[in-house]
Amino acid sequence: MSTRRWQIEQVLALAPRPSTVAAAQPLAVPARWAGAGCDARAVWGRCVGSSAEPYECAVDHVEVAFRCTCPSRVFPCKHSLALLLLWARGQVAEGQPPPFAAIWIAKRLATTDTGPPTEPSAAATVESPAEHVEGPATAALPPPDPGKSRDDRIARMSAGLAELDRWLDDRLRTGLSDPSLAGYRTWDGLAARLVDAQVGGLANRVRRLAGLVGAHPDWHSQVLAELGILHLLATSGRHLGTLPPGLADSVAGTIGWQVRQADVLAGVPHTDTWVVMGRSDTREDRIEVRRVWLRGAGDRSGDAPWAMVLSFAAYRQSLDASLAVGTQVHADVFRYPGSVALRVLMGALHGPAQPSGLPTGTSITAACAQVGRALAAEPWLERYPVCVVAAPSRAARRWLLTDATGSLPLIEGATGVATLLACSGGHPVTVTAEWTSGGLVPLTVHLADRAVDIGPVADPSFVGVAS
Amino acid sequence: MTSTATSPPAINDYWGEMVTVALLGTDRREPPAPPPGALRDLAVDDPQPTASQRLLQQVAGCTVARRAGMLPGASAPLLAPPADDLRPVTPPSATATWRRVVDDWAVLEDEWLLAVIHSGRRLAPELIVPVLARYRTDATRHARALVAAGTLGQWMIEWSPRLACTSRKPVVMEAIGELPDLAIVPELQSVLWAPPTQAAQTIAGGLSTGAFGISHRAVLVNVVARIQPASLPALAETIGNIDPSQPSIGLAFALADLARLRHQMLTELEPA
Repeated sequence: MSTRRWQIEQVLALAPRPSTVAAAQPLAVPARWAGAGCDARAVWGRCVGSSAEPYECAVDHVEVAFRCTCPSRVFPCKHSLALLLLWARGQVAEGQPPPFAAIWIAKRLATTDTGPPTEPSAAATVESPAEHVEGPATAALPPPDPGKSRDDRIARMSAGLAELDRWLDDRLRTGLSDPSLAGYRTWDGLAARLVDAQVGGLANRVRRLAGLVGAHPDWHSQVLAELGILHLLATSGRHLGTLPPGLADSVAGTIGWQVRQADVLAGVPHTDTWVVMGRSDTREDRIEVRRVWLRGAGDRSGDAPWAMVLSFAAYRQSLDASLAVGTQVHADVFRYPGSVALRVLMGALHGPAQPSGLPTGTSITAACAQVGRALAAEPWLERYPVCVVAAPSRAARRWLLTDATGSLPLIEGATGVATLLACSGGHPVTVTAEWTSGGLVPLTVHLADRAVDIGPVADPSFVGVAS
Repeated sequence: MTSTATSPPAINDYWGEMVTVALLGTDRREPPAPPPGALRDLAVDDPQPTASQRLLQQVAGCTVARRAGMLPGASAPLLAPPADDLRPVTPPSATATWRRVVDDWAVLEDEWLLAVIHSGRRLAPELIVPVLARYRTDATRHARALVAAGTLGQWMIEWSPRLACTSRKPVVMEAIGELPDLAIVPELQSVLWAPPTQAAQTIAGGLSTGAFGISHRAVLVNVVARIQPASLPALAETIGNIDPSQPSIGLAFALADLARLRHQMLTELEPA
C-alpha cells in the first residue's frame, strides 16, 4: 500500500490552477476529515465544509479519477486535492472503504481494466454526482489517459521525446534570434506537452531554460548549450534499452521517470558519518526545493562520496530542517539508481547529530577534475558539490574563488558572496559550493569553530518555515 | 562557467562559430565543420541528414566536451586584506541572539550593538553584511555598526558599496555610544532602578490585578528594555509564573520572553 503512495509534487501536478492548491492547503489537515481511509486502490473521506452535510470525497489513485459531492465545477476540486495531499503525507490510515467509496470503486472496477498501476497523469478522469463525466467542466479536460501499462507509458514518453527533438531541430533551423523565443508561451507550450508525455523532468528543464533567454549578454551561448543537453536527453531517452544500466537509470530519472521510495529503501544502505556540508533552496514552478549536501566523513580525502537529500514544500508548507549545516550524523543513506547517484533517502540514524569539524577542502584544479568526472558520467547534471580551500577574489568585474592552481567564477548575483568575503577577509577559507553551468553557488563557509550557511534561502513568504 | 573553461582553443573557436550559426539558423548558414578529434569522429560515425540535425548533434557533443573537460581559469591575485583588528569576535550564540532580537524584539537592537562595543569584541564576520545592510538608512546606527564591525566593516564597504550608509543626516558622535531614550511613563520610572525583587513584583502585581493590560504593552516593553540588568532574571521568573487564568497572561509571557532574551544577550556579551 505505502509503496504506491504519491509524492506531494505528483498531487500538485494535478491542480488545474495554483489557486486550487492554495484552497486545498487549509483542508489538508486531519481535523477537517472524518472517516478518512485508504487502500491499494483508493483514498476516501468526508470533508467537513461549509454545508450542513460533509462532502463525500473519493479518489482512485491507481487509474486516477475523482468523486466528490461538492458543487464545485473545478476538477479535481480542492477537496480531492486536499485528500490526496493528506494521503501523500502519510496522514491517512489504511482501512475498509465506506459504502459511498466502495460502490464507486466497484463501478469503476466493473467498467475499467485492472491493469498494473500507472503513475498519476494530468489526463485524469473526473466523476462527481454534481457534474457527470460528460458534463461541460470535464469537456475542457484532456482526454482520459489511454495508457494502462508500462509499455503504453514508454510509448508516450518516446513520442514526447521525439517531439522535443523535432522542436529543437526547428529552433536551430530558424535560429535563436527568432523573436518567438523571447515569449514565455513558446517554452510553456512545449513544457506542457512534455508533461502530457510524462517526461516532467524535461518540462522543468525547459521552463528553467526559458528564464535564460535575454537574461545575460551571453544568453545565446548558454541557451544553445542547454538545447544540446536536451537533445542528448531526448536521444538517449529513446534508447534506454541500449544504455548501460546505471546510465539508463540516470537518463530515466532525469527525464521524469519516478522511482518509488520503497524501491530505493529496499537497496543496500551506505552507512557512514555524514557531514552536512551545505544547503540550497530553489523555487521550481510551484514548489520550493531544498537540496542538502552530505559528504561521507569516513574518507578524509577530498574525494569523499557526496550525497544529496531532497525535500519539497508547496505554498505555506515547511521545508525539512532536520539536517543542519555544520553538523554530522552517523546514518544509513539509500542511493537512488544512477551512474553518479547523488540523490539519497535518509535511513536509520545511529546517533544524534554532532557538530562537525573543519572539513577537508581540495584545490580549485582538483574540484574541476571532480566536476569533470561527474559531468562525463552524467552530462545533464545541473549542479555538483565541491569543497575547496580558496579565497574570494575579483577579476573582469566578476567574483571568483581562486588559489594557486587556478580560479572558478561565482555565479552572478549569488546571495552569499558578501558574507563569504567577510568571513574570508580576503584570505583562503574552506568553502562548499555547488557547481552550475553559470558559475559556483557558494553554500557554506567552514570556519574553525563553526559553519556559516550562506546558501540561497527559500522565500519566507512562500514557505512556512524557511530554514 | 564556460567563461573560464580553458578548453583547447580549437573547441572554443568551434563553439563560437556554432553559436553564430545557431543565432542565424541553419536555413541561412551551414554549420561549421568539426575540428579533428572526437567531435569529427562523432560526425563521421553518426552522420545526420540535415544541417540542423548536424548542428544539434555537434552542439550536444561540444557542450559535453566543454563541461566535462572544464579547466580552471588563471589564478587571480588575492585581495588586499583589511588591517588587523585584534578584538575577539562575538560568540556564535550571539549571532543567533541578534537574529532573534531583529525578528522578535527590535527594541533591543541598539543595546545589543552597544553591548558588543562595550564588551571589547567585534562583530562576527557573518553578521557584518546583515547588520550593515539593515542600518544603511540610519546614520547613527550605521556608524555604531561600523564601530562594532571594525576594519573588516570598512573593508567590506569598499568591496560591496551597497553596504554603505545612504542617509545624509550628520552623525552626532556622542549618540553612537549612547542608548537612545525610550518613552516610559513617570509612574514607572522608579521601577527601572528599584531592587530586583521589588521591580519584578511591581510589574507582576500590575499584571495579576489587571492594572496593566494589553493597552500598556508598549510602555511595559520599554520598561523591560531599560530596567537595570540585575532585575532581569527575577522579572522573567516572576511574570512568567503568574496565574495562567489572568486575562493578561499573553502580555506576561511576552514580557518574560523579552526579559529572558535581554538577560541572555547581556550575559553573552559580558566584557571579554
